[in-house]
Amino acid sequence: MEILQYSLRKLIAGIPLVLGVTLISFLLIVYFGPDKTYDLLGKNPTAEEIAEVRSQLGYDRPFVPRYLEYLHEVITFDFGNSESTDEKVSTILSRTIPVSIALALPGFILGNVLGVMFALLAAYFRGRWIDKFIMGFAAIGMSISFLIAIIGFQILLSSSDGLDLFPVRGWDTSTPLQYLRYVTVPTLATVFIALGYNTRFYRAVIVEEMTRDHVRTAKAFGTPPARLFYRNILKNSMIPIVTRIVFSIPFIVISGSLLLESYFGIPGIGKVTYDAIITGDQPVLKAVVALTAILFVVAQLLTDICYRAVDPRVSLK
Amino acid sequence: MIAMTAKARAKSSDILLSVRDLVVEFATDQGIVRAVDGVSFTIKAGETVGLVGESGCGKTVTGLAILGLIPSPPGRIVSGSIELQGQDLTQLSEPELRKIRGSEISMIFQEPMTALNPVFRIGSQMIDVLRRHQQLSKRQAHAAAIEMLAKVGIPDPAVRIEEYPHQLSGGMRQRVMIAMALSCGPKLLIADEPTTALDVTTQAQVIEQIIKLQSEFGMAMILITHDLGVVAETCRQAIVMYCGSVLENAPVTELFAHPRHPYTLGLLGSIPRLQADRQTKLPIISGMVPDLLHLPSGCRFADRCNKVMQQCRQQRPLLGALPDTSTKVACYDPH
Amino acid sequence: MSTMNTSAVSGIDGHGDSLWLKAARKFKRDRVGMWALFGVFIYAVIALGVVFGFWGGAWADVTGPKWAPVSAEYWFGTNIIGQDIFARALYSTRTAFEVGLLVAIGATALGAVFGAVAGFFSGTWIDEIIIWVMGVLDSVPFILLVAAIAYSLGGSPWAMHIAMIATFWIGTARLVRGEVIKLKTLEYVEAAHAIGLGKVKIIFRHILPNTFHILLVQATISFVAAIKSEVILSFLGLGVKDGMSWGLMISESTFEVLAGFFNNFIAASVLMFGLVMAFNMFSDALQDALDPRSVK
Ligand SMILES: Nc1ncnc2c1ncn2[C@@H]1O[C@H](COP(=O)(O)OP(=O)(O)OP(=O)(O)O)[C@@H](O)[C@H]1O
Ligand SMILES: [Mg+2]
Repeated sequence: MEILQYSLRKLIAGIPLVLGVTLISFLLIVYFGPDKTYDLLGKNPTAEEIAEVRSQLGYDRPFVPRYLEYLHEVITFDFGNSESTDEKVSTILSRTIPVSIALALPGFILGNVLGVMFALLAAYFRGRWIDKFIMGFAAIGMSISFLIAIIGFQILLSSSDGLDLFPVRGWDTSTPLQYLRYVTVPTLATVFIALGYNTRFYRAVIVEEMTRDHVRTAKAFGTPPARLFYRNILKNSMIPIVTRIVFSIPFIVISGSLLLESYFGIPGIGKVTYDAIITGDQPVLKAVVALTAILFVVAQLLTDICYRAVDPRVSLK
Repeated sequence: MIAMTAKARAKSSDILLSVRDLVVEFATDQGIVRAVDGVSFTIKAGETVGLVGESGCGKTVTGLAILGLIPSPPGRIVSGSIELQGQDLTQLSEPELRKIRGSEISMIFQEPMTALNPVFRIGSQMIDVLRRHQQLSKRQAHAAAIEMLAKVGIPDPAVRIEEYPHQLSGGMRQRVMIAMALSCGPKLLIADEPTTALDVTTQAQVIEQIIKLQSEFGMAMILITHDLGVVAETCRQAIVMYCGSVLENAPVTELFAHPRHPYTLGLLGSIPRLQADRQTKLPIISGMVPDLLHLPSGCRFADRCNKVMQQCRQQRPLLGALPDTSTKVACYDPH
Repeated sequence: MSTMNTSAVSGIDGHGDSLWLKAARKFKRDRVGMWALFGVFIYAVIALGVVFGFWGGAWADVTGPKWAPVSAEYWFGTNIIGQDIFARALYSTRTAFEVGLLVAIGATALGAVFGAVAGFFSGTWIDEIIIWVMGVLDSVPFILLVAAIAYSLGGSPWAMHIAMIATFWIGTARLVRGEVIKLKTLEYVEAAHAIGLGKVKIIFRHILPNTFHILLVQATISFVAAIKSEVILSFLGLGVKDGMSWGLMISESTFEVLAGFFNNFIAASVLMFGLVMAFNMFSDALQDALDPRSVK
C-alpha cells in the first residue's frame, strides 16, 4: 500500500520531466523540424495547393494547440501512422521492441554480471597485478569505439578473412540455434565495450565500500572474506550498481541498439528510429521520444524502490 | 597434562599480551612511512593500560597491528612479535587470526556513527559475531545478544535489537559496539578512543560502563585516549607514544607523580592536580610534531625538548628501566 | 581551532599555488600520465601541421590506383577510389581535435556556469529549473537529440557539435553544483557576502575559480567523449558533413573490409585508439594529481 501510494506520487512528480522532453522534441522535430509541404506536392504547385497541404499538415495552426495535440497523442499513446510506411506507430513499436530486447538482453546481462565479477576481483586484489591487468583491459576497452569493436568482431567471426562462423548481418529468431547465430557477434561487441566502463565503475563503487569503517569493524570481529564481501560490501554497493543498471534500461529498450541494429540490419526499434531520423518520419520520432521519457520516469521509480529494499535509511516519503 | 595447564594458567595470569619491537610501515606516494617504530610493552591479565599521545603518533595502528588488521597494501608489519599468552600472533595464518578476532581480542573504534553496517539490524550483526565464535543456536544467540545489550545499559533491548544503526544515537551505537565486543568474553579489549565522538555527558557514561563491565568480565584493556583524566582514573599503567615510538611506560601513579620524560612532563604540565576534570585534552606543547617521512635521526622529541643535548640529536635513546622504579623511559636525562 | 579554520579556508580560497603546485609535482611523478601527455602532444603536433598546411592537404585528391597496397609512396595505401589514406588519416586528426576542443570548451563552460548558478542558488526555483533542464536533456536519447538539432538547424554541419555540447555539459554542471554547495558555506564566501559583493561577482570571481580542478578533468572527459561520438555519428550520417574524419573513414571502410581490404579501417581505428587511450590516461592521471584526498 505504502509502495503504491509512493509510486503514484513519484509518477506524478515525473510529469514535468515528460512535459519537458515532449516540449523539446516537439520544438526541434516538429515545430522547427523538416517542412514536408513539398514532399506531398507535385511539380509546380499553385499557391492554393501549397496552402491546402500546409493546413492538412497543420503548419498554419499556432504553436500551443499543436503541442497540446502532441500531448494528447502521448496520453492516449496514439501517434497515428508512420509517414513512410503508413503502418500504425503503436503496431510498429510492439513489433520491433521485442526484437530489440532479444538483441540487447544477452549483452546487457553479460556486460553487467561480468563487470561486477571483474570489479570484485580487481577490488579484492587492489594494487596487485590482477587488479592492474583487469583495469588495463578496461582502459583499453574504454578507448575503443563501439563501431570499431562491431566491425572488428565482424571481421574476426563473420568474414571469409576471419573464422567465418556467423552470418555477416541480418536477424532470424525462428529457432534458438538461429537466434544464437545472429545474436552472438552483436553481443560480443556490446560486452567488449560495456565491460570496460562497467568494470571501472563497479570497481570504484566496491573499493569505496571496502574502505568503509564498518568493513574494518567486521574484520575486527573475525568475519571471513566471503561473508564480508556479501554482507558488508556487495549489499552496500548495490545502490549505485542497481541505479546504473536500471537507468540504462530505457536506452536499451529504445535507442541503445540503434547503431547495432542499423549496422547489422536488425529490424528492431533502433533501426526503425534510425530510418525515421533519415526520412524525417515525425510520428515515429515523437513516439520514441515520449516513450523514452516515460520509461525514464519509471526507471527512477524502480531505483527508488530498490533503494528502499537495500538501504533501511531510505524511507519512501 | 593437568599440571601443565595449571602452570600455563599461572603464567598467563602474569602476562597476557607482550608486544616486542613492533615496526609497522605504510607505503605512500611520498615514500615509506614508519607509523610504529619499535614499540614494546606487556599487559597482564585483567589490567588496564592507557595508550596516550598526540594525533597521528601511531596509537590506532598499534591496536590494529595486534589484531593483524593493518590494511595491506599499503601497510605491513615489518618486524617484531605480538604474543598473546605465548602465541605469536604475527606468525598466525588469516583463518587462525579470525578465530581470535572478536573472541580472544576485541576492538572498538573511534567512530560509532559509521562503525556498524547500515544495512543490517543490530541484532543481526551481534548474532553474526556470537554464532561465529560460539556454538549457539539462532535463538540462543538472540537471547545472548539481548542480554548483552541490557548489560551495556540499552533500555528495551528486545525492541532495540530489531533496529538499524541509523535509528540509534551515537552513544547508543557505541554501547552496541561495546556489547558486540564483549559478547564472546574476550581476554583483551582494545578501546580506541571509544568516546571521542560523543558528547560530554555521554562520554562519561560510556566510559563508566566500559570500566564496570571490564571488571565484571575480568578482561584486560588497552584504552587509547587523548584524555589524561580518564587515564589517571582508570588505568594501572600508562604508555606515552610519540611519533611511532614509546617514550615512557610507567604505573599511572608514578607517571602522574613523577613524569620522567620531558614530553610526558609537558603533557601533564597544564593538568589540574584534581583528576576530576575529564575535559582535559592533551595540552599543546610548543613546536611541531616532525613529519613521519622526515624523522630526525636522534630523539624524535629533540626539536621540541627544552633539555635537548648534543647526544639527543645523534642517537635515539632506547626505552630502558630506571633503577629502583618500574618506570621505563626513553631519555638520556630523565627527570 | 580557530587558527586551523582560517588556514583551511585560505588554503581553499587561494587554491591557487599550493594545490596546483602539489598537483603538478604529483603529475610529474606519474609515469603513465607523462607518457600519455607526450602522446597527446604528438597528436596535437600532427593536427597543427594540418592546420598550417605542412601535411594532409591532399586528403581529397585522387592520386593513385584503387586499393593500392602500403608503399613508399602511399604509406597507408589508398582507398576504394584511389585517395591516399595516410593524408586522410592525418587530416582526420585535425578534425578530431577540432571537434574535441570545441565540444570540450563549450560543454565545460556551459556546465561551469549553470552548475555554479544552480549550486549558488540551491534550494530556490533557479536551481529547480536548472535541475529540470538537466533531467530533460538527460532523458532524450543522444542520437535523437543530434538528429532533432540537425533538423531544426536545417542540416547545419554544426548540429553535431551543438548537440554534444547540449548534452555533455550536464555531467560537469552536476559536479560543479555539488562543489559550489560545499564552497558557499565556507567563511571566505560568507565574508564576501558580508562586505557586500554582488552575487555575480561572488559566483564568478570567488567560487567558480575554486572548481577549476573539476573543470579541467571534465574538459578532458568531454574531449574524449566528443571524439568517440563523432565516429558513431559520422557513420550514421549525422556527424561531420564536410571534410574528413576517422568516423567517415571507418564508415567508408565498412564496404572495404568485407572485400578483404583493411587499410582504411586499421589506419582510422589505430590512430583513434591511440588518441583516445592517451587522453583517457592523461585524464586519469590528472584526476589523481588533483584529487584533494591524495594531495595531503
Ligand atoms: N592506511 C594508511 N596509509 C598510510 N599511512 C597510514 C595509514 N594509516 C595510518 N597511517 C599513518 O600512520 C600514522 C599513525 O596513524 P594512527 O591512526 O595510528 O594515529 P593515532 O595515534 O591513532 O591518531 P589519532 O589520535 O588521530 O587517532 C599516521 O600519521 C599516518 O601517517
Ligand atoms: Mg586513532
